[in-house]
Amino acid sequence: MKRIFIDPAKCDGCKNCTIACMASHADMTPRRGSLDELRQAVYALDLTDPAVQSRNRILSDGQGGYKPIFCRHCDVPDCAGTCMSGALEKNLETGLVEYNEDKCAACYMCVMNCRYGVPAISPDRKRIIKCDFCAHLEEGPACVRACPKKAIEVREV
Amino acid sequence: MERFVIIGAGAAGITAAKTLRAFRPQDVITVLSTDEQVHSRCMLHKFLGHERTAEGINFVPADFFEKNDIYHISGQTVTGIDTAAKTVSYGEGYSVPYDKLLIAAGSAFFIPPIPHFREAPNVFGFRDLSDALKIDAAFAGGKRVFIVGSGLVGLDAASALCRRGAQVTIAEMAPRVMPLQTDGYAASVYQKVFEDHGCRFLLGIGASDAVVDGEGNITEVILSTGEHVPCDFIIMAAGVRPRIQLAQAAGIRAERAIEVDDHLRTSAPDVYAAGDCTGLSGVWPDAMAQGKAAAENMAGVDTVYEKPYPFKNTSNFFGVTMLSVGRLDQTEGADVIVHKTPKEYKKAIVRDGKLTGYLSLGDISNSGLYLHLIKNGVDVSGKLDRIFRLTFADFYGINEKNGEYVYTV
Amino acid sequence: MSNCTGCLSRNTCPSADKPMENYIRSLPLETAHHRVEKQETKCGFGLQGVCCRLCANGPCRITPDAPRGICGANADTIVARNFLRAVAAGSGCYIHVVENTARQLKNTGLHRDKIRSEKALNHLADLLGVTGEDKYDLCVKVADAVLSDLYRPEYEGMELVEKLAYAPRVKRWKELGILPGGAKGEVFNNIVKTSTNLSSDPVEMLLSCLRLGVSTGLYGLQLTNLLNDVVLGDPVIRSAPVGMNVIDPGYINILITGHQHSLFTYIQDRLLDEDVAAKAKAAGAKGFKLVGCTCVGQDLQLRGAHYTEIFDGHAGNNYISEAVLSCGAIDAVLSEFNCTLPGIETVCEELKIKQICLDVVAKKANAEYIPFNYETREADGDRIIDEIIAAYTARRGTVPMNLFTDHGNKNTLTGVSEGSLKDFLGGSWKPLIDLIAAGKIKGLAGVVGCSSVAYGHDTLTAALTKELIARDILVLTAGCSSGGLENIGLMTPEAADLAGPNLRAVCKELGIPPGLNFGPCLAIGRLEIVATEIAAELGVDLPQLPLVLSAAQWLEEQALADGAFALALGLPLHLGVPPFITGSKLVTKVLTEDMLSLTGGRVIIDGDGKSAADKLEAIIEEKRRALNI
Repeated sequence: MKRIFIDPAKCDGCKNCTIACMASHADMTPRRGSLDELRQAVYALDLTDPAVQSRNRILSDGQGGYKPIFCRHCDVPDCAGTCMSGALEKNLETGLVEYNEDKCAACYMCVMNCRYGVPAISPDRKRIIKCDFCAHLEEGPACVRACPKKAIEVREV
Repeated sequence: MERFVIIGAGAAGITAAKTLRAFRPQDVITVLSTDEQVHSRCMLHKFLGHERTAEGINFVPADFFEKNDIYHISGQTVTGIDTAAKTVSYGEGYSVPYDKLLIAAGSAFFIPPIPHFREAPNVFGFRDLSDALKIDAAFAGGKRVFIVGSGLVGLDAASALCRRGAQVTIAEMAPRVMPLQTDGYAASVYQKVFEDHGCRFLLGIGASDAVVDGEGNITEVILSTGEHVPCDFIIMAAGVRPRIQLAQAAGIRAERAIEVDDHLRTSAPDVYAAGDCTGLSGVWPDAMAQGKAAAENMAGVDTVYEKPYPFKNTSNFFGVTMLSVGRLDQTEGADVIVHKTPKEYKKAIVRDGKLTGYLSLGDISNSGLYLHLIKNGVDVSGKLDRIFRLTFADFYGINEKNGEYVYTV
Repeated sequence: MSNCTGCLSRNTCPSADKPMENYIRSLPLETAHHRVEKQETKCGFGLQGVCCRLCANGPCRITPDAPRGICGANADTIVARNFLRAVAAGSGCYIHVVENTARQLKNTGLHRDKIRSEKALNHLADLLGVTGEDKYDLCVKVADAVLSDLYRPEYEGMELVEKLAYAPRVKRWKELGILPGGAKGEVFNNIVKTSTNLSSDPVEMLLSCLRLGVSTGLYGLQLTNLLNDVVLGDPVIRSAPVGMNVIDPGYINILITGHQHSLFTYIQDRLLDEDVAAKAKAAGAKGFKLVGCTCVGQDLQLRGAHYTEIFDGHAGNNYISEAVLSCGAIDAVLSEFNCTLPGIETVCEELKIKQICLDVVAKKANAEYIPFNYETREADGDRIIDEIIAAYTARRGTVPMNLFTDHGNKNTLTGVSEGSLKDFLGGSWKPLIDLIAAGKIKGLAGVVGCSSVAYGHDTLTAALTKELIARDILVLTAGCSSGGLENIGLMTPEAADLAGPNLRAVCKELGIPPGLNFGPCLAIGRLEIVATEIAAELGVDLPQLPLVLSAAQWLEEQALADGAFALALGLPLHLGVPPFITGSKLVTKVLTEDMLSLTGGRVIIDGDGKSAADKLEAIIEEKRRALNI
């Protein structure tokens, strides 16, 4: 399966990955998702709307460095292992932990159980916010392509 | 080629079935359940509140059994287990043989010995779909509901019925709502939001007697204070008891719950148990984990099941969300740190530099690491000034080979 | 130190000029076109204009979690502030140019130096209401009138505004309160305004942008051209070669970059003097030639009829300056303003090209600074000439030649101005107005401004132009966009074949291309004079004309100041990419919608040539309907 590998030493905290994530998910229609398309989507993002959320976070380590928090699509995911609605499931073919918001009952057991604190809750409290590996974009995760420092990259594991 | 039989189609049973199929693509797997429809009891309130249909609260796809080639014998009650002949009997004289058996029978709601309560036809539990259907039918006849117990189940039922315009009275022995998960303040917030939606709480009060009509239906609940509360039906949410009758009748060791070792084996050979009936925990995720571990052992993969940490809960009622982990009531000799703003309420209980309890009312996004810290007794003594703003960045580590995170403590 | 050729990206950006694209890709030196790829990732906060770096608490970014900067500024304030600061800087650039131009006119008068167009001088004097004892005194008085306005404090209105601007527009500007004070003071004041914790009123800041637009447009654009005409000569329509084919390696070639043609008055004549020519011959060259690049090259091309000996032609726009220098036959660069890309530093270093900077504002790190100073121009001029000859001698034969002799074309129409075009039409705008009224020309589109490379070198400009002319819309160009369009032949008579049937017929009959090159971006001011004169003849205000503007590949802050003038004039202004404003709903709405009711103009953003042309055509048709034509 593919996973986004992180080199925190290269992370500058510019947060362009978070913007790219928002731009990617502003439209869930399957499409190519080239950098050019994403740039157009970035122009149109409403960055003042709390409902526009990034699925990854860049946290300061308190010492001038940054620690990117990205869903690992874990081999043994805490979140899918606690889901009571079948909304979160590990796809055995792609290895991705997929989230189906129609099934989700907003119980937040996944939020409670992910030991890395990855899932967030949508402002309307009806869904969780979690990385979907930009499955709807042919060119793959937008964050990886938007990182000017190449601190994140997709690798096969 | 082995024949696996699973009693129960709840979190433990279904997870076990899934896991078995993954390890044993060809073997025969049979699941027996009294319910016709697989459903998540954690979502039962969505059904009762008419937000979802019965199919809508299924936590596996509708074609789960078909796709995984698993036999589902539904709507049948298991009548006995013969551990010598290795068969399970059910329904009107049917039986199914097993090479390995998993008992995932769950637990049943408990009715305390209050006069009339155990006999009255209008006293219901809120565990299964069949309970919810009965409540649905009763609600058609009258909207005054009396709920015993303001724990999660009681509040689930209350929130569902309030959505449909019920007049709900809830009696709770403890002095606050959701007593195991809240402290005084958090409980007051939930109490208020339920009251705003039509609930009346009777705290520190129990039901001690009842007035019945000609058919034995309870028409009034008599409280320990002597007050009479008229009602149309009653929901018992005062606790559950692991279903041990089948095990006991089969000679499998079970006192309060079915005894299991650290591989989830019972005292009978080739018989395993998982989920609520083991009494190890009463929480859905732990039942899933037990189902998985038991199934792995049944499939010949030696898996040690580590005792779960059961003190963990999230709740989401009327938009008020809360995370509660650990023993909030055990504050003796510990530091209690509180953070309170109009939008948030957080409490941390720290003993000997370790977090032992955590409560967060408000936006609980990204709070998953607190369960890990408490469960694993991680030392947080250097971080107390930021105890409510801890993130994985404080413990960041990466497995260079496969890119997964690891905790650095 | 030289360019690392091993790590060059072989992927250069696409260009509307395919031969140039191939040439650049094959270059052993790095150019801007090579650097586009690695800079592909743009900061999203920057794109939206919601990054604020004004103070030490920052940089702050607006995010859904953090809708205000630490100081409390919201997206509207940050975006408006960033935008106004850019417009102020851009205005400053143009005002710097007009200030230097006026000073040179004054020097010309004070020293009774060469005046190439008395006609232009008299026209200016009339326009500004200035009289003098003789032509030299007139030069001084005209220059002083301009300079005194520029130097006024910002709380004193500039006096020439009402003389220069179209009366209906002045009326509207009075109503909006956007008549500018002293141009330099306005720039100063708005830099102050946009500093930390000062203005947080986005609407006031946007109105200030319009005010800066007025001063930029009337002084920086329109006046600069008219002042230059006096000393440097009126534009004359002629056919000229363009592109890299103009470079003749037999000469000592000097590339000029910038916007201030007035700083070359002395040297362009001196280079033709016999003693200088002799020096060149002694060094082994046939003489000196000036090669045009950027807007100053366009200015020289515009007036090229007067400089056929010293000026061989305009090689191309700003973003091919590195490529032009790479040909090996350019011996020196004289720079005085933008666009003088920092990228040329390494090219010049590698190819031993002498860089001399005439105005400190355009100083390249490895350029020699010999500021243009009228009093010492003779000694400086000789020094410059000698240094260039030394460079020629040192470099020729030791650096590789990579000529591009078949690039461009030989017959681009140039020299178009509000004066020369009117003369061409017989001394009046009526023939043009009649053609528009009859629908033979559907409308006018100014495709102006810069060249950019991040999203393709001139690709949108060219695509849009082709779409517009195909719809019978006559295109008028000015700026580096002209430089790109002329190199791909869109301003040759043959280009008429690409026009729609009506426009094609007009072009063939008049012998003109469907795109008319007015010269440097300063000449956007000329274009606007044309518009004003036509509007005056029709008795309408500018927003009513079937005229649209496009700065499709606007590049920098001056373009934004230009754009502010276009909006103040009430014209629809198309931009290819948003000017870092979309982070503020308010700023975006004001510029793209509300502006209609303020000035009659508005911004239209569209990155696609066809789609933009559709919108612009629809606007022209709407205006035609309203005029009943």
